[in-house]
Amino acid sequence: MRIAHVIGRVTLNVQDPSFKGGRWLMCNPVDAEHFNTACLTAPPLSKDFSLVAYDNLGAGEGDIVGIVEGAEATAPFDHDIPIDAITVAIFDSLHYQPPA
Amino acid sequence: MIHAIVVGHAVSSHCHPSLKGCKMLLCQSLDASGKPAGAPMVAIDLFGAGMHSKVFVSTDGVAARGFVHDEKSPVRNFIQGVID
Repeated sequence: MRIAHVIGRVTLNVQDPSFKGGRWLMCNPVDAEHFNTACLTAPPLSKDFSLVAYDNLGAGEGDIVGIVEGAEATAPFDHDIPIDAITVAIFDSLHYQPPA
Repeated sequence: MIHAIVVGHAVSSHCHPSLKGCKMLLCQSLDASGKPAGAPMVAIDLFGAGMHSKVFVSTDGVAARGFVHDEKSPVRNFIQGVID
């Protein structure tokens, strides 16, 4: 699971039928040095590329979310769905303290 | 399995049902010399790994789903063991 900052939404017009009713979020991974403040103040954009993630939780712009990438992203679905990233948690707080 | 060190924890009141009650720890992967390598990740912990303890993190989704007893869980990273 990676920690990312929701920076926007994605709206689809033409889409795979299995996506019907889905919500999509534009997410930018949060740099480790901003973990402690990420849930309080919006972290700056990181150099990592942003990704589009399927959202079932109702996360919105500004939220800090946990994103699972890969085949596991399709596990919660009953039907086959061609997705590669899904939000699995909205974080209330992060505590980060690397060893000195 | 990834050799990692626990560098923090995450609190989430709104998460996938399979993650309810699970401890989520921030884990920093380490290279062969024990130095941090790459970005920290969030892993599920059922063993009670402490802050700054060295752990093995598994990235196998099938094993993780068995670990949380939910076949529909999207969880992927979980702490498999704490290194003495």
